[in-house]
Amino acid sequence: MASTPIAGKAKPRSFASKPRHRRRGLEAYLFLLPALVLIGVFTLIPFVQGIVLSFQSWDGVSTDTPFVGLDNYLRVFQDNIFWSSMLNAVIFGAVGLVIGGAVSLGMAMAVNKAKRFSAFFRTVYYVPGVFSVVVVGMMFSWLLDPRIGILNRFLGAIGLDALQHNWLNEPDTAVWAVAAVFVWYHWGFGFLLFLAGLQDIPKEYYEAAELDGASPWARFRYITWPDLAPVTTIVSILTLLGGLKIFGTVLVLTNGGPGYHTEVPTLRIYKEAFQFHRYGSAAAMSVIFGLGLVALSLFQLWISRRSNA
Amino acid sequence: MSEETAKRLNRRRFIALTGGALTAAAILAACGDNTPTSGTVATTAATNATTAASAATTAAGAATTAATTAASATTAAANVAPNGIKLVLLNQSRGQAAALEALAKTYLAQTGVEVTINTAGPTDYLQKLQASSQSGDMPDMYSALAKYNDMAPYYKAGWAMNLQPEMDKGWSKNFSSSVLKQITWKEGNPQGLQPGIYGAPWEINTYAVLGNPTIFKKAGLDLSTPPATMPEFIDQLKKINNSKSAPFLLASSNTALFIQHYVSNFLTDDEISQTFGGKLPWKSDAWRNALQLIVDLRDAGAIANNALPTGSSDNATGEKEFFNVQDLATYYDSAVSISVAKTTAPDFTTFISFPLPKAGNGKLEPRSVGGFGRGMAINPKGKHPDEALKFIKWMTDPAQEKQMFDTVPLLPANPNALDTSKLSPQVTGFSSLVDKTQVISNPLKAQVNEAMQKGIQSLVLKEKSVDQVLDDLEAAQRS
Repeated sequence: MASTPIAGKAKPRSFASKPRHRRRGLEAYLFLLPALVLIGVFTLIPFVQGIVLSFQSWDGVSTDTPFVGLDNYLRVFQDNIFWSSMLNAVIFGAVGLVIGGAVSLGMAMAVNKAKRFSAFFRTVYYVPGVFSVVVVGMMFSWLLDPRIGILNRFLGAIGLDALQHNWLNEPDTAVWAVAAVFVWYHWGFGFLLFLAGLQDIPKEYYEAAELDGASPWARFRYITWPDLAPVTTIVSILTLLGGLKIFGTVLVLTNGGPGYHTEVPTLRIYKEAFQFHRYGSAAAMSVIFGLGLVALSLFQLWISRRSNA
Repeated sequence: MSEETAKRLNRRRFIALTGGALTAAAILAACGDNTPTSGTVATTAATNATTAASAATTAAGAATTAATTAASATTAAANVAPNGIKLVLLNQSRGQAAALEALAKTYLAQTGVEVTINTAGPTDYLQKLQASSQSGDMPDMYSALAKYNDMAPYYKAGWAMNLQPEMDKGWSKNFSSSVLKQITWKEGNPQGLQPGIYGAPWEINTYAVLGNPTIFKKAGLDLSTPPATMPEFIDQLKKINNSKSAPFLLASSNTALFIQHYVSNFLTDDEISQTFGGKLPWKSDAWRNALQLIVDLRDAGAIANNALPTGSSDNATGEKEFFNVQDLATYYDSAVSISVAKTTAPDFTTFISFPLPKAGNGKLEPRSVGGFGRGMAINPKGKHPDEALKFIKWMTDPAQEKQMFDTVPLLPANPNALDTSKLSPQVTGFSSLVDKTQVISNPLKAQVNEAMQKGIQSLVLKEKSVDQVLDDLEAAQRS
């Protein structure tokens, strides 16, 4: 048979390549090993320890960590402030998702269309995300100061005194002021991803649509939006999670105040652990909050897949 | 060179790097605590090893770095102090760092003991201290903060030497009797600590009102005679408000101290202590009167912007408005603020400090909160606890306290180091309270402190009544 010599030649080659394959596989695993060890030590072990801690009582220093069963969870379920802080987290998540996402997409589309200075705008729009959260917090606490802040001074200068507020210390404005700072701080990330997504859409699609007389809205609705769907899914999940997990911005700007009007779960967890020295309860809160985040992410993924199907 | 040879070389390089990583890991592990007592220490060593391994794998010169580190360690070893004893002090205050370093140099010259000052800063201090305790690598000495709740877990875990026996042997002469009472943990304290003294303070902190005479003058008022009673003070603040100036402010984080200060018009120190310990109720006329002050200030339009500053830097915000913008007539703050003013607004020297005016319906002479400020705790499990004790004793002697507080404008804990003739008007209000501070044996629970802060914010915003806030305090006390 004509095929015999070929098979005869192929056999020894296959025999020789197997150890090389194995060696390459081993090399790949060796290169992956440091990353796996790091993930194990800094993510997986603390994750498991966190769950174990949620069933223990610990003051953060003592070596004594008695098992307390479900006591920590019972305490958390009775903590009204923790549960009301969840609502604020949802507000921050929704604002980040809808407004933050819309602003990022709008800016990315504008820069994508810009014929000149696009590199400049790319840099400028991404700059807020580079700053430390403490710097951002201090900067905005100055800008939003009721007496000497630029915003109120500007409103006063143009005759809009009635719109002046104590932005960070009035219950009606505090959440929205913090949310606005959050959006400003985080828009650069979504902007860059959207811009990359827009640059991947072939220009021929738009040219063909223009020849067919499609309006700008139709071009967005039938070309841009569907082609950006994978990027939108990633950006929306990350922005939603970022909004829900907001911490530094709230801590620096309001510390959860006035009253508990801007309290968020992460801040509550921080206080429970580092101020009240109840690490077990803090771990229980983290477990509950973490499960909530996972559930929301899965739900959002499901929605995205359904709408993209 | 063939491709295969290059690959082999790469593998060799990889093996060399891995070897370097393991060596570096071993060096790091050896540099750590050599008496591992818990699983945490083992985890830390593992973490160090992993970090080193990662660093070595990604950076080709890891082995070289390890060798360089070893070389520099040898160089450092050549510069040992005359008697070879080295102590490490973990310091919380950046403002005191330079003074501490200068004193450490003097101590080295005098005794041959080398004291290294590691300054963490107020933001990172407790995290660093906690990390040190968990890794079993505590410094020989560390800042003992006045906040009981922050320090008690370390004392309870055996990381602080009981200084009571040394005080009994005569060291107590370096402290005023009221400070000694404040730093003594009594039998049956809520934290469950063994009775004793676990930190030696070297500064005293009191709380008073800072006043800007220029703004008072604009409202037709003279601050050369500060208001003596609260009704008089509120009346003046009303006039300041009418003159379109910002009358009064205090940071949200200081509200519990403000109320504790004011309630001393109605309660003895023992009664305040018992309330903090949960033995007396919060829902009483005394605490109701104290919280009513916030309502009175609010209704008089005395609180600037009708809100209290919040956020992690709320006190810095208030200090900025008083010292830097200078558009705030009065601000309730601690003696530490004087050093802030000297650093950030050295030209603003016209302000004064005066005691919080007494209540119109008060039964007792008001006493300031604060008392002892920062000091030092000694790690009894360190390598040289006796030498650390000698150093701290030396630090609290009048000569060193004077040197320290000539550099840092604070009030020394040693009464012999306080020269009242040299005090500026900015400091006199605070210094006049040194002997009029509360001696509270039970610290305020952190949860109650939080409830007090949030409750007072709610009072200012008219969201809650005084009695509702008192209910919240009761609930927080029981939590």
